[in-house]
Amino acid sequence: MNDPVILVVEDSALIRMGAIDLVLHAGYEALEACDADEAIRILEVRNDIDLVFTDVQMPGTMDGIKLSHYIRDRWPPVKLIVASGATILEESLLPSGSQFFSKPYENHTITDAMARLLLPESSRAPTA
Amino acid sequence: MSTTPTVHFEAASTLAVVVSSHEPLLFLSDDLKIIAASASFCRAFDIDPTSVPGKKLGELGQGEWAMPKLESLLKATASRSADIQAYEIDLKRPNRGTRQLVVNAQTLDDGDVEHIRLLVAVTDVTDARAEARLKDDLARDKAILLQEVQHRVANSLQIIASVLMQSARRVQSEEARGHLHNAHHRVMSIAALQRQLSTSPGGSVELRTYLKQLCQSLGASMIADPSRLSIHVSADDSAVEADVSVSLGLIVTELVINALKHAFPDERTGTVMIDYRSSGRDWTLAVADNGIGMAAGRDAPKAGLGTGIVEALVKNLDGEITLSDAGPGTMVTIGHQESAGFQANLSPFVYAR
Repeated sequence: MNDPVILVVEDSALIRMGAIDLVLHAGYEALEACDADEAIRILEVRNDIDLVFTDVQMPGTMDGIKLSHYIRDRWPPVKLIVASGATILEESLLPSGSQFFSKPYENHTITDAMARLLLPESSRAPTA
Repeated sequence: MSTTPTVHFEAASTLAVVVSSHEPLLFLSDDLKIIAASASFCRAFDIDPTSVPGKKLGELGQGEWAMPKLESLLKATASRSADIQAYEIDLKRPNRGTRQLVVNAQTLDDGDVEHIRLLVAVTDVTDARAEARLKDDLARDKAILLQEVQHRVANSLQIIASVLMQSARRVQSEEARGHLHNAHHRVMSIAALQRQLSTSPGGSVELRTYLKQLCQSLGASMIADPSRLSIHVSADDSAVEADVSVSLGLIVTELVINALKHAFPDERTGTVMIDYRSSGRDWTLAVADNGIGMAAGRDAPKAGLGTGIVEALVKNLDGEITLSDAGPGTMVTIGHQESAGFQANLSPFVYAR
């Protein structure tokens, strides 16, 4: 089976590099986009993206929150991780099933969340 | 007196009180004729005092007081079916800005049910409201700015953390990698503080939550097997100023990094304990582990960067470091005593193992 494919959406080049680095080291395939519009273009041409890891505040027509809702609506199976430097983000603003982390994040916090989200539904521990 | 006079004469004292009131007041009969108006009312709303007595409310000035809603409310008050409490109206005068008024009206009870008089207080709140609005705007602008600053700081810390982690992955030397990881822990410690500060009111930091968050972050990045090593934080209800919390947080960071790295070799199990207590202006911070204890004398390693950082921060806080054998393990205590006569053990030591 192929490695899971993760799309990193982040406007800051240095943070994006770091995120790509952590995705690759966790053994996944990494794709990158610098804003929501580019992310959607990539999602439209690839049908193998398993998870989108996105920043919130980005230039362009959508921020990361709008993007995550758009993805949940159009590509429901795609898993979502959202990270932001904004300290308080209502998790209720995000689509269900997505995970939020505040910046700066620990790399393995993100890779743990990725591993958890990418487990097949059947093998996931039942949640209360 | 047993007979009711057919014509009412207002008591001169009542009129004198109304006219001289500092608050803009109107004294009305039940058909909304003005019996008296305070000088302050005439001044505030630009009305010739001599023109007032006997006029209807709606005829005052240039007719700007003819407001149907106000009249019906005043009539209802006069018939005792309603009360006007803090009723807000806009007074529109030709060639003048609209004023926001707060009206309070009540009947004056002088024991004669046939003799109804209304006392109406009119307060101009236009300037007060504008000032309050300006203050709200300023407060909101400030909150937005603060959020923006915090957002930027978090982003900057993420950039530094990302670069450090990428560097750590690429360097060949184990030692260099260790240094880069330590730098990363320090950045994350500052981030934990930043997060705590952004949610604390008034710029003071509640230490228990902060230290717990800090140690959780340290543990998450340094402890591979949580069943082998753990960090335990206890603290009283102390809150300290932001800059003090920065120093305390960094001291804890250095001591915890040091303990996790050196106190538990060969897969030993153990706990690092952090405790903070204060009494008045005196405080004690203790970081203890139940590991292998320190090498002493000639076996003692040279002081590292961590030692230098802790010493500088402790000096900043006017504190004293004491190192003791926790049997098993090591305890580092940092105390600050305002009271004179406190004698710390000043013998030099190295607590880095």
